Amino acid sequence: MGAAEAVFAGAPALEDQLGLISEALRRVTVQVRSGGRGAGAGVVWLRGGLIITNAHVAARPAAEVVLPDGRMVRARLLARDPRRDLAALRPAASDLEPALRADARGLRPGELVVAVGHPLGVAYAAALGVVHRTPGPAPGPAGWLHADIRLAPGNSGGPLADTAGRVVGINAMIAGGLGIAVPTHVVEGFVQHLGIARPGARAA
Amino acid sequence: MPSSAAGGPLTALSNELAAAVETVGRSVVAVHARRRIPASGVVWQPGIVVAAHHTIQRDDDITVTLHDGTTAAATLAGRDPSTDLAVLRLADGASAAAPPASPVSDVPRVGQLALALGRPGASVTASLGIVSAVGGEWRTWQGGTIDRFVRLDVAVYDGFSGGPLVDAAGRVVGVNTSGLARATALTVPAATVSRVAAQLLSRGHVARGWLGIATQPVRLPAALRRELNIEHDIGLVVVNVEPDSPADRGGVLIGDVLVSLDDRPVSDPADVLAALAGGERIGAAIALGVARAGRAERLTVTVGERPRGRR
Repeated sequence: MGAAEAVFAGAPALEDQLGLISEALRRVTVQVRSGGRGAGAGVVWLRGGLIITNAHVAARPAAEVVLPDGRMVRARLLARDPRRDLAALRPAASDLEPALRADARGLRPGELVVAVGHPLGVAYAAALGVVHRTPGPAPGPAGWLHADIRLAPGNSGGPLADTAGRVVGINAMIAGGLGIAVPTHVVEGFVQHLGIARPGARAA
Repeated sequence: MPSSAAGGPLTALSNELAAAVETVGRSVVAVHARRRIPASGVVWQPGIVVAAHHTIQRDDDITVTLHDGTTAAATLAGRDPSTDLAVLRLADGASAAAPPASPVSDVPRVGQLALALGRPGASVTASLGIVSAVGGEWRTWQGGTIDRFVRLDVAVYDGFSGGPLVDAAGRVVGVNTSGLARATALTVPAATVSRVAAQLLSRGHVARGWLGIATQPVRLPAALRRELNIEHDIGLVVVNVEPDSPADRGGVLIGDVLVSLDDRPVSDPADVLAALAGGERIGAAIALGVARAGRAERLTVTVGERPRGRR
C-alpha cells in the first residue's frame, strides 16, 4: 500500500548502513573455543592473523578458532592478561583481514554502537545500542567503555563498533544490564607489549 | 568498511543523538543525597534542580556535581512523594555553571526515539529507547496527579531517576523515574514537573485537599439504591474519621456510606482523592451524599489541607 511505503520510506537507508556495518564486522570476527563451555568471540587485530579475545574466553594454551569463512584452525595463546581481560591468539592462518579501529576515547555518550558476537551460541548475531558512558580514568572495568546494548554470554571477545564500522572496544562483560567493553586504547597497549612487529614497521 | 557507510543515515542519527546528549547533558547534575551511588537531577530553571523524591534520602547535607565537575551545595526546597519529585536550590554562585534545560510541554508520541540521560557520578550517561505508551492524566498510587501517562521502553540503570527524557532533537520532554511503577521507567511530563516545582518553590510542599476519612467500597442493596434514587451499585463505607478533621467537624460518622461528592457518584476511594487532588478546593465547601441508617443524608464539609507527611 502506498501509505505504508510512505511511512517506511526512510527506514531502508538506515537498515542498509546497519547491514553494511554488521557484514564488515562479521568479516573480522571469529569464534573461539578454548575448552570451556560454549564459544566466545574474537577480533582479527593485525594483518598476519593476530586475534584479540578476552582472557576469560582463552583460558588454555591452545584454542580452536572458526574463521569468518567457516574454516576451523588451531590457534596458539601468545599472551593473556586477566586484569585487562585480554588474550592474544596466533591462528594457523595468515590471510585474515584485520578490523578497522577507532579510539573509544573519541566517542560521545549517545552515539550509536553495533556489537557482533555469538550470544548464547547464535553465531554472528548483531545488536544495536548507544554509548552509555565513555572511557574514564577509573581503573579496571569502571573506566572502560559502557554501552546501553543487549549482550549475552558468547559476545565476550567480540567487537563493539561505531557507525563507520570501526571497532571501539572488545566486549568483555555485562554488569547491571550494561555491556562493558575493553576500549581500543587499552587493547593497543596490550598488543604493543607483545612486541610484535607492526605491518609496515621498519626494523631499526 | 565501505566508505559509503561511514557518512550514511545511521551516522547522521548517531551524531544527532550525541549532540542532544552533549547539549542537554550540561543541565544534568549528579545529586548526592543517599548512600551508595548518586542519582540524577535536571537544572530546570536558573539555580533550581529537579530530582526524584525517592532518591533524596536526607534533607540536609545535599550536594550536586555539575557538568564541569564542580560540586555545589544545595538545599531542599520541597518534595512531593505523590509525583516522586523534589526541588533543590543551588547555593549562590553555582548557577553560572549550571545552565538550565529548556523543557517543552509537547506531548511525547508513541514510537518516538527517547534518550534517558543521567549523571550518577562525574560523567553523563545515556540510554536509548522509544516512548512505549502515552495515555491521559493519571493518578499515582500515592494520589499525585500527572498530566500524561508516559511509559518508556528504555533500560533503567542505577542512578537514572531524576534525569531528563530527551527527544532526538535535544528537547527535554520530562523527568524520568523508576519510583512510580514497578520494574518500568515512567516519565513525568515537563508540564507536571513545572507545575509541581512551582508549588514546591512557593510553599515547600504540594497542597492537597483533605476530608479525614478512610473508606472502602461496598455493594449497595437494590432497596437502598431505590431509596437514595441512585443508579450506581457501589458506595464507600466510612471506616475511619480522623478526630477534628474536616469530616469530623462536618458530622461524618463511621458507618456512613458515601455515594456522591458534589452530586457526582463515587464508587472507589480513588474518586475521593481525585475530587480533592488539586488543592484548589481547600477552604471551599463540598457536599457529601451519604446513606445513614437507610436514609439519604446530605452533609456539608469544608475541605481542609492534607497534613504534611500523610497520604
